[in-house]
Amino acid sequence: MSGKDSFVKFENVDKSYDGEVLVVKGLNLDIPQGEFLTMLGPSGSGKTTTLMMLAGFETPTSGEIYLEGEPISSIPPYKRGIGMVFQNYALFPHMTVNENLAFPLEVRKLPKAEIDEKVHKALSMVELQDFGTRMPLQLSGGQQQRVALARALVFEPRLVLMDEPLGALDKKLREQMQYEIKHIHENIGITVVYVTHDQSEALTMSNRIAVFNDGKIQQISTPDVLYEKPDNSFVAQFIGENNQIKGKVKSVNGKNCVVVTDNGDEIVSLKVNVNSVGDNSLLSLRPERVWVNSDKGDYENSFEAKVEELIYLGDHVRTRVNVCGNNQFIVKIPNSSDHSDLKEGAKVKLSWKAEDTRALDFKA
Amino acid sequence: MSSETISGPILTSDGIPLKVSLKKAERINKIRAFLLVLPLLAFILISFIIPIGDMLTRSVDDRYINTVFPKTFEIYKKWDKQGLPSEEVYKTMFIEIGEAKGFKIGKASTRMNYSKSGWKSLIKKSQRKFKKIKEGPYKEQMIAVDKRWGDPIYWKALGEMVDPTTFGYYLNAVDLKYDSNKKVIAQPENRRIYMHTWIKTFKVSLLVTIFTLMLGYPIAYLLATLPLKYSNLLMICVLLPFWTSLLVRTVAWMIILQQKGVFNNLMVMAGLIADENRWKLMYNETGTIIVMTQILLPFMVLPLYSVMKTISPSYMKAALNLGASPLHAFWKVYMPNSIPGISAGGLLVFIIAIGYFITPELVGGKDGQMIGNWIAYHLKTTLNWGLCAALGSVLLAVMIVFYWLYNKIIGVENIKLG
Amino acid sequence: MRKTIKAAFLGLISMAFIGSAYADLTFVSWGGAYTASQQKAYIDTWSKGSGITVENYNGGLGEVKAQVEANNVTWDVVDVLPDQAITGCDDGLFLKVDQSHFINDMVVKPVSECISPQIFWSYVAFYDPAAFPGKKPKTIKDFFDVKKFPGKRGIHTWANALIEMALVADGVKPSKVYEVMSSDGGIDRAFAKLDTIKDHVVFWSAGSKPLELVSSGEVVMSLAYNGRIGAAILQDGKKFNYIWDGQVLEQEYLVIVKGTKNEDEAREFVKHASSAESLALQAKYIPYGPMRSSSIDIIKKGEPYFNTGVDVLPHMPNTPKRLRRSVIADPFWWADNGAEVSERFGVWKGN
Repeated sequence: MSGKDSFVKFENVDKSYDGEVLVVKGLNLDIPQGEFLTMLGPSGSGKTTTLMMLAGFETPTSGEIYLEGEPISSIPPYKRGIGMVFQNYALFPHMTVNENLAFPLEVRKLPKAEIDEKVHKALSMVELQDFGTRMPLQLSGGQQQRVALARALVFEPRLVLMDEPLGALDKKLREQMQYEIKHIHENIGITVVYVTHDQSEALTMSNRIAVFNDGKIQQISTPDVLYEKPDNSFVAQFIGENNQIKGKVKSVNGKNCVVVTDNGDEIVSLKVNVNSVGDNSLLSLRPERVWVNSDKGDYENSFEAKVEELIYLGDHVRTRVNVCGNNQFIVKIPNSSDHSDLKEGAKVKLSWKAEDTRALDFKA
Repeated sequence: MSSETISGPILTSDGIPLKVSLKKAERINKIRAFLLVLPLLAFILISFIIPIGDMLTRSVDDRYINTVFPKTFEIYKKWDKQGLPSEEVYKTMFIEIGEAKGFKIGKASTRMNYSKSGWKSLIKKSQRKFKKIKEGPYKEQMIAVDKRWGDPIYWKALGEMVDPTTFGYYLNAVDLKYDSNKKVIAQPENRRIYMHTWIKTFKVSLLVTIFTLMLGYPIAYLLATLPLKYSNLLMICVLLPFWTSLLVRTVAWMIILQQKGVFNNLMVMAGLIADENRWKLMYNETGTIIVMTQILLPFMVLPLYSVMKTISPSYMKAALNLGASPLHAFWKVYMPNSIPGISAGGLLVFIIAIGYFITPELVGGKDGQMIGNWIAYHLKTTLNWGLCAALGSVLLAVMIVFYWLYNKIIGVENIKLG
Repeated sequence: MRKTIKAAFLGLISMAFIGSAYADLTFVSWGGAYTASQQKAYIDTWSKGSGITVENYNGGLGEVKAQVEANNVTWDVVDVLPDQAITGCDDGLFLKVDQSHFINDMVVKPVSECISPQIFWSYVAFYDPAAFPGKKPKTIKDFFDVKKFPGKRGIHTWANALIEMALVADGVKPSKVYEVMSSDGGIDRAFAKLDTIKDHVVFWSAGSKPLELVSSGEVVMSLAYNGRIGAAILQDGKKFNYIWDGQVLEQEYLVIVKGTKNEDEAREFVKHASSAESLALQAKYIPYGPMRSSSIDIIKKGEPYFNTGVDVLPHMPNTPKRLRRSVIADPFWWADNGAEVSERFGVWKGN
């Protein structure tokens, strides 16, 4: 593979700062043109380093990065033509908003009229056309964020990188900005590589998400697959809420297997990341895929549980129960009249399907 | 809407107007705050405002001489400055010299000597010998005691002292003086030292400021961007000069820079200069600038460093990312953001440099002396504190002008120490 | 317990006050070998000498004036130069003293009623004989003659003595120097002579500097304080030659600061310090010349008199033979004209 098939390609990229620890290990990644790809992971997982290598502020220790089929490791950052939105915006505080936006265009020696036009267009895109003469510090956090976005796009880069750009905003503004960024991406069709540690942000915006941990991509997939079908216990844990039950594989039957918990309950599950009988396994089960006192008969798994705690959350009731030896088991019960009689201490019957129960790896 | 909002002042629950009540509550806080700053206020008053006031007063004060020769000056004012004064002037001068007690006349003669060299010994000698003169007419007898009494130059020199306030010291500070009619004229050419020294002082201070900036900027940049373990070491190197005595450092520079010194020896050994063409790097203006630059470097580096520390590294990254070459990014993004540090450091170094005198005294040689050296000279040797005060006031005024200009051009709010 | 602490505390405070009320006598001088010789010759030999605090200063009357004006005198006895003695006495910074015990024993007349005699020292030219393998400079004329003796000259950064030396080098008799300096064009003549060596001078301002300049070869000859040269020869074994011809002698006096809190002690100390015996004893430790004739007699009889067991008279500036070709600096002339000539000298240096 020469890397010509994809827009951005990481080929066996390693990165070490001190010659002792690899922060990125054997990374391979292809990003097609026009995709919104999010690198998601806890801090120290290597996602930001990967982004910085793409931007040119870090050099791979080994391996190569290709942009449109060309190796770029030896190209300095200012010649890569990649836009970037920084964590704290990095707007130049001594320049007005207009001057900030004009900066990349002036560097490229565009004619004055063209610069003005492009700056105006970029500001309109983020709906800040009246703020051009302000200084960045006279703007609110959200406005600064939009200016930073406009600045990263104004010179029409091939690719835009965003390094946790919404981290400094409050929750409401963050959600609003997520949609704005998503819409801008959809409208102009630019390739975006986005770094965040916030899984809901990743799920909202991305075409695909690469989950990073320990310098490696754990799983790369679309948001729904990642949520519904995590490949391993890290991904399952990191994305969305999930119930975990420890056990050992007792028998394997085609695509399913039976896992025995420590207190002897046998759970029929989907065999995902276990190989053979006797393996340790961590079962992953989403709280919304569990049914309480259901009278339908097509559930492979059905156990008695004791209600430990009820938390009223409006649209649903978050219920903590003790089942299969796990007293931190969460069930999300829709707020309908069916379950209005639930009380703490009550015994209930819980049911769930084998296909929703993913038998994943377990590292002791 | 209720009518309360428009029916006069708002009242508290006790019926006292809210504003009055608030003032009362705040007064106690104000008094407390005032008492807290009182010691500082007193300190500033004693250590800053009073000395400056004293300096300004001394720079124009000419009362003393007028208390010793009040009558003489009164009659003197009527003199037409042609030939010699009348017998009456001689007589009152004779009487007042006789009446003045002890050191009063000495102090007066010191003052008179500022306007014409020679008054001091003339008065001293006269005081001793006048005792023999019993009765008038006095003019001839006084001239017989010392022929300088018959020299109109001495008499004319008194003209600038007849008022209790004088701008004579300020004139002296810029190579001007009063003639006998209190008209402003230039000093004789061979005494015009101060304008020359002022210009040199500003030139040297400006050059030192520029050189400390040129040397200090990269150091401060390294300090602000290197990892902590290296920057600490570098910081110690920067601060080391602070910890060694000024004299020791100055002497070390002498050893290095003099014509038979280490630097010249190395250059000769390396064959870069001929033995007879050794560079003159010491005991002149060059030496003054080199040594002052080294001594004042920390005053430039520290404000620069503390400002640079606050410049986010992401600015440079952003500029590079947007397509600017490293040089362009530095010039357009980093440098403008470091201007507050440049301003603070520059102003600090310039202000310190302008009043420097120990280093110029030691390494300045023939032409390295600055205005501070003349202030020290008059302060200690001639005791002409009026001139010292005038020189100091001019220095203060120049600094205020500089500050004002700076405020106009760059803005005071742009000074930042961190 | 608390009471004892309180008592002790009050005791300490009152002691601090008593301490300041009966302060030691403070004697202020120039420091270095000179002050060390004063210490040995008359501080150690005075009955109350152990109560004396010695401080150093750099000359000038600035501090004294400030103390007197602020009415907070902490310096009791100060070692001063004659023009400062005159100005200080005129301005009422110093007390008048009883001069009857030395007035008839002086080499030159005292310059003011406030002073007690100390020593002569001189500005004198010297060189390292190794620098002149052939003919050696002998007179101040040679010092100003850069054709006959090429090489750099070390001179100090102020005007005193240089004016006098330039005139002597220009042919003025030492005894007529001040006459010429007071006459029209006299100063111009001195500056004209200084012009002839202007491009060949290295300036110094610290007393130790000329020795380094000559030792390192930076200059071939230099002016210096004679005591520094003497110390280098007598104590450090340096080989330097003096050019006594045209030397300018300066005087050093003791004065009592007006407003001292220890007036009686100060007067007693100054009397002791200016006795013929004390001044003679000082010459054991530093080759400066005592101002009292009888002290020189004591030294002459005592040769080899110096503490290292060698003759000290060859290093003294005021032997009768040397005085014939020396200028004794006139403090009255300098008190009158010092400021003006200094400004002219500043112009001369700067151009």
